[in-house]
Order: sequence, then C-alpha cells, then structure tokens
Amino acid sequence: MSTPESPKETTGTGKVGVYVCYCGGNISDQVEVEKVCESLRQLPEVGVARSNMFMCSDPGQELIIEDIKSGKVDRVVIASCSPRLHETTFRSAISRAGGNPYLYEHANVREQVSWVHHGSEATAKANRLVAAAVAKAALSEPLQPIRVDVQQRAAVLGGGVAGMKAALELADRGLEVILIERSPFLGGQVARLRHLAPFGEDAAAVIAELAGRVQEHPAITVQTCAQVEGFDGYIGQFRLQVRRRPPEAEEYADQLAAGSAAGAQLGDVVPFVGIMPQRLPENLEEQEITVGAIILATGMRPYQPLRGEYGYGDLPQVLTLPEFTRLWHAARSQRQGDLLVVQGRRIRHLAIIHCVGSRHIPGVHDEGGRGYLNEYCSRTCCTASLYTANLIRQTYPNTRVYEFYRDMRAFGRGQEELYAQASDSQVMFFRFRAGEEPQISPTSEHPTAPVLIRVKDVLTFNEELEVMADLVVLAVGQEANPVPGLVELMKLPVGADRFLLEVHPKLRPVEVAVAGIYLAGTCQAPFDVGETCSAAAAAAVKAAAVLTRGYVELDPFVAEVDLSRCQGTGACVEACLADGALTMVDMTVDGQNVRRAQVNPALCLGCGACVAVCPHNAINVKGWTLKQYEAMVDAIVAEDLAA
Amino acid sequence: MAAGKPAGKILILATESCAYPGADAVGQGHMSYPANTYVLRVKAPVLFPEKFYLDCFDKGIAGIIIMSCGVECPYEGAYEALAKRIDRVYELMKERGWDIRRLRLTAICTVCTRAFINEVKQMHDLVAELGPPGQEQQLAAAGSA
Ligand SMILES: Cc1cc2nc3c(=O)[nH]c(=O)nc-3n(C[C@H](O)[C@H](O)[C@H](O)COP(=O)(O)OP(=O)(O)OC[C@H]3O[C@@H](n4cnc5c(N)ncnc54)[C@H](O)[C@@H]3O)c2cc1C
Ligand code: SF4
Repeated sequence: MSTPESPKETTGTGKVGVYVCYCGGNISDQVEVEKVCESLRQLPEVGVARSNMFMCSDPGQELIIEDIKSGKVDRVVIASCSPRLHETTFRSAISRAGGNPYLYEHANVREQVSWVHHGSEATAKANRLVAAAVAKAALSEPLQPIRVDVQQRAAVLGGGVAGMKAALELADRGLEVILIERSPFLGGQVARLRHLAPFGEDAAAVIAELAGRVQEHPAITVQTCAQVEGFDGYIGQFRLQVRRRPPEAEEYADQLAAGSAAGAQLGDVVPFVGIMPQRLPENLEEQEITVGAIILATGMRPYQPLRGEYGYGDLPQVLTLPEFTRLWHAARSQRQGDLLVVQGRRIRHLAIIHCVGSRHIPGVHDEGGRGYLNEYCSRTCCTASLYTANLIRQTYPNTRVYEFYRDMRAFGRGQEELYAQASDSQVMFFRFRAGEEPQISPTSEHPTAPVLIRVKDVLTFNEELEVMADLVVLAVGQEANPVPGLVELMKLPVGADRFLLEVHPKLRPVEVAVAGIYLAGTCQAPFDVGETCSAAAAAAVKAAAVLTRGYVELDPFVAEVDLSRCQGTGACVEACLADGALTMVDMTVDGQNVRRAQVNPALCLGCGACVAVCPHNAINVKGWTLKQYEAMVDAIVAEDLAA
Repeated sequence: MAAGKPAGKILILATESCAYPGADAVGQGHMSYPANTYVLRVKAPVLFPEKFYLDCFDKGIAGIIIMSCGVECPYEGAYEALAKRIDRVYELMKERGWDIRRLRLTAICTVCTRAFINEVKQMHDLVAELGPPGQEQQLAAAGSA
C-alpha cells in the first residue's frame, strides 16, 4: 500500500504537529486530506502537517515519533477516528518518543465528519475542527498522570459459566477473586440445559467441573445470595457494598425444593437448578470490599413468550425449548419404545419454531405487552433446535420432527454438520417470512389433541401448508438480563438491545467506558458457551493486566488553582460537587498570609463546577481550561481559514 | 443543505460520557446531518460560566446545543447546577434582545442517535430562520418601525 506523504515545507513557526489520517478511505473518500494539511500549514502554531493511510499503524505512529525526536514538534494534533478509539494509542506513541502525552489534542474527522457529511462540506468542517484542536493544543500544558496503587483483588459479578471461568482465569494468575452470585446457585442458565450444542457435552458436567474448581481454589471466595448495592471509587480502588440476604419466601423455592428432594449436599449438582456451594445466609450480612477491577458476568435470560404468542400459555401442547429440555430428561428416564412420550402423551409429530423472541422488525412485529422489540438474532437457538431435532430423531425414530425457520444460522465449528445431519435424518423444514409466522390453533378442546400449524412456506413457493403436531417447541432466544441497579451505580452504558455495551465491538470488545470494569459473557450479547468462555477469559486477562502491574495511571484532568489569580472568594468551594475535593486553607503567597482554595486531586472529579463560578478564572480543570475552549470557539468562527 | 448563504454556525457541547459517544454512534450509523455543527467534547458543561455563552454569540456562533447526560450525569448535582446557570443565561440573552431558542439544553445518551439528529435539525432550521445573533433585534426594530 502506498502511503500518501505530504510535502514537508511549512510556513508555520510553532511546534504543533498535525497528523491527518486517511483511514484507508473512510476519511479520505469525503475529506480532501491533503487540502486540510495544506490549509493547516498556514496556521502560525503549526510546525508540520502530515497525512498517513492509517495513523494508528506503526508507520503512522513512527511519523509522530520521528518529528518529536527531531525536535520539530512538541505537541501533537491527530485528526482521525473518534478519540475514544485511539487516544491511548497516540498518547503512548508520544511518550515513547519522549514527549509529554498530554501535549496532544484530537480532532474527530471520521465519526463526526466523513461518516456524516459529504464532499466540500466535509473538507471545510474537518479543516475547522483540526484548526480548533490546534488552538487548544497550542495552549496545552505538560501534565503528569495521577498514579494510584491497585488493590490486587477482583470482584466477579455473576456465577454462571462466564463468571466462574473469569474467576478461575484470574485466580490461576495468583490474584484474589470475590465471586458474587445473586442466586443461591452457581451455574447460571447452563445449569438449565441438558446437552450443549453443537457437540453435545453434558451441561451438568461442564458446570460441575467449573464450580468444583472454583470452590476448591484458595484464591476464590464465593458469596451466593449476594448483590452489590453500593459502589464508588475508580480503577485500582473500587469500593463495593455487598449484601447477602436470605431468599424471600417464594424466591428460589422450587429450586431449593428440588435440591432437598434430590438429597443434594452442598457442592452437588442439582439437575436443572445448579450447584449450591454454601448455606443460605440466615440474616442480612453486609460487607464492604475493595477491589482493583470488576468483571460483570450477570448473564442473560431466556426469552419468555407472551401469553398467546404461538398459543403459549393457552395451549398445553406449546412449550419453550428449556421447558421441553426438562421434560425430555424425564421422558428419557421412563423410555417407552421408539416413540417420544411426554407427560404420558405419545408424540408422533413434534414441531420446533425458530426465532421466538428474536429478530423482531419494527413495523412488522408488535411490542405486545413487552414495551420493546428484540431486533437482534440470538445466535444459539438455530443450533440448539437442530441439536434437539437430531437427538429426537436418533432416540425416537418414530417421532417425526418439523422445523419452522426464518433463516438458518448454523455458523461456527460443528454447526453446519448438525444441519446436514438433520436433513439426513428426515427432519422436515418449512421456511416462513418475517411477519408471516406460523399460526397455531387447537383442533379440539382436548388438551392432548394435536394442534394445527398453518404456514406460508417459502421453500414451496409460498404454498399455504398445514401440519398437525402433538407438541410445539418454541426456540426462544436470549434476552438481556437487566441490571438497573448496577447500571445506575456504575454508570454502565447499555445498548439499544438492552445488553451492556462495550467500548468498541471490534477493538475493545470486553471493556466498558468506565476504566477497570470489564464484560464477560452474555451480559453483553447472545453467546454460546464456547464464546462465553472466550469472552470471560479475555475479560480476566484484561483485568489481570491492570491488577498485576500494581498501579494505574489516571488522567490528570483535575482542578488546579492559579494562585497568582486566586483572591480567596471561596465561590469554588461552595460550588464543588465532591466532598473534600476543594477546601480553603491558610497559606503564604508572595510573603502574605492568605486564605486560598486548595484541590485534593484524589477526590476531585474534574467536572469543572468550580470553574464556572470563579470571578477571576483562577481555577481550571487541567487539560480542559476555559481559555482552551475559548480558543477553540475562536478557531471555529475565524474568517480567514481557507476551506 | 440548501445552497446559497452558508447557515450560521452551531456549537455543540457534548459530554464525553454520553452525548459525545452519541454523536459517534450517529457517525457509525452513517446518519447524515447539517455540516454547520461543531462538536466540542466536554467533561461536564457545568464548567462554562454565563459569559462563555454570551461571548460565543458575540463571536458569531448562531446557536448552541448543550448535549448533557441529563439526569444520567456522572457528576452528581452537576446537571442541576447547569440547568440553573442556563436559566440565568436566558435572562441575560433576553436583556440583549436575543432569541433564547439559540441556546438549548438537552440530554443525549450514548445511543440517542435519533434525538441527536432531531436536535441538530431543529437548531439548524432555527438559525436559518433567525440569521446571525443580533439579527432578531434588527428584525424586531424593523417590525416596530
Ligand atoms: C434456550 C437456550 C438454549 C441454549 N442452548 C445452548 C447450547 O445448546 N449450547 C451452547 O453453547 N449455549 C447454549 N445457550 C447459551 C448459554 O445458555 C449461554 O452461553 C450461557 O448461559 C452464558 O453464560 P453466562 O455466564 O454469560 O450467563 P448466565 O448463564 O445467564 O449466568 C449469569 C449468572 O449471573 C447471575 N446474576 C445475574 N445478575 C446478577 C447480579 N446483579 N449480581 C450477581 N449475580 C448476578 C445469575 O444469577 C446467573 O447465575 C442456550 C441459551 C438459551 C437461552
Ligand atoms: S439463531 Fe436462528 S432461531 Fe435464533 S434468532 Fe437467530 S435465526 Fe432465529
């Protein structure tokens, strides 16, 4: 790939280096990058203005490093994608060159220019935004990051596969872990499955292995019936209030009864419930813990169909896949020949309906009583359906299986084989269009009578077909398991699909915008168990990198008092939003005993509430001063900027 | 955008934890909006004194949209302090005979793409109607003459 290098001549006298990214066409398709460089070179603050195909690549970063090392540049402006993606990349490049990483500004000319504007407008706007960044950079002061010691301990919230896997990965790296599970059980939703598609592992064995290791590991403390109800602090030093409380009267009553009925001891697997690793608390127990990092593994919940959706709740012949899985287990233990018998009913024809509770289309599907649509694909239900169909055909060859699907999504290793196997074992497929879902109606009042399924089948060129089925299984998808308390406390970003939102789906897939908090598993999106484990391991490694280093460096963007201006009015102290961050103290300035404002950087939030109220502009947030904003506005309104 | 006289400039003060990622999400969705908009990233708009807004208008900014986190603000109490300040700015704008719709306080979340576009479009239409700041005084004077 050829790198478009700009000519090096400059009319500027300053030492701001401007670096404009092509982003492989993402920016340069709309913004005339060379024109922007040319225009920026006219600004007196600018020393060099260069472009590169990918500024974040090694050659791109080398441009900056060379300019700093050769003394041409002492502060940097990058014009590229959102600073949320590569701010740390560029800061670290500047540090590597021996520069101060805070003598750096960023102009977002991709998400906020080339992806939303076209042609000359895009170039003109990019020009102004970069000029504004130059104006800010020219007024930047070198800053030192705030170094904070790290508590070498992590909290993992959620004891499903994701939480257990993440806890083990951390503990195996020698780090202390507190695993906090809301219910009395470990195992999460996997405890409710029988076999794991596509390869058929025994779900109980998978969770037994993980839970066994978690319980034995000396570095892991498990707390069940526990939730985080208070939160403050920052990466390296989070303080969590954890409450363990006995379950309410009806809460978990069925699961606890199942455990007792099976005579399960602590640590035993209770089928379709999970593993109870410790006794229930007798009273409310409260505890404060301090941790350096937090992994969220609060999981998902299977979609619960609305009453009447495909006849669910009205017709006893209609079940969800998890409900069927439990009955299947019971049916297997009372096997009666080559025909599946469920609750005493002989199942000659069984239908599976895909995409239940997933892939809703606004305008086509109804929110019903839910108040929302699930527009995403749940990714695991096609495979789980195919696996179930194959299992039925193999075990009960006299039971016919019909699958009603919209699109078949059997991606990933071992999944296509399931599809092929289903075709070979004469599973019959019907395909429906969105908005033309199969209609289910009873054929008689009798609860054991078959139901009638009507479908307009795309595979037979929209023929209206009718099929009788003794049992209908709804392949329900995965829904976000809302954790409003944690979202509120930790200020977690939530996506439009109501799952927790990562910083960047490709580049920073397990991080959230709050530093030191990571996502593991299906709290983020629908995943299968393999993907859940990969995500959990990634989150654990990310957290371990912070914890094992022993310290973190926080951005130094806190308030700073300019004693040459401060008159001791105290307005800032009154306006301050963080207790103890600003106080009035006696001190000597220029030989005079005076009372002046003083900042405690560890407590300052950097919000700037104090800045607005100072009549002398004697207090500013470092790196974001009022003068810098004023300079940016000046650059935006400047008449003389060539567009 | 309509050809002819360029539309007045709109300043958007976007919070780094909510509205700025929201503006990025608009870009990720390739949803187009008028280009006379300049997003400045802010930790919290409570930082700006009344004078900052007035100066912006004096310098020729035609409209300002404060895109805060609203009640989701990570700095407890900041939104309330901001809202009070904006009320005072409105008073000062009225004293100068400026249309207070030129300054708008909104809350935009990280995924509020439609709300972002709506706010921008509304302000764009407004500044197109009002012209540069101060024009409304001239219009009013002409009207009453
Ligand atoms: C119908 C269906 C069939 C499936 N079939 C398969 C299959 O065949 N193969 C396959 O690989 N995958 C399958 N999956 C997907 C599989 O269930 C998930 O990948 C797996 O459960 C994800 O694990 P997790 O730990 O992320 O979440 P979960 O299993 O949901 O566990 C989350 C845990 O967090 C706890 N928790 C929640 N909130 C809090 C809180 N605030 N504080 C503390 N703890 C909390 C919960 O109690 C729970 O124990 C299926 C899913 C569904 C819905
Ligand atoms: S995995 Fe298959 S059944 Fe599930 S939502 Fe996606 S397409 Fe539908």
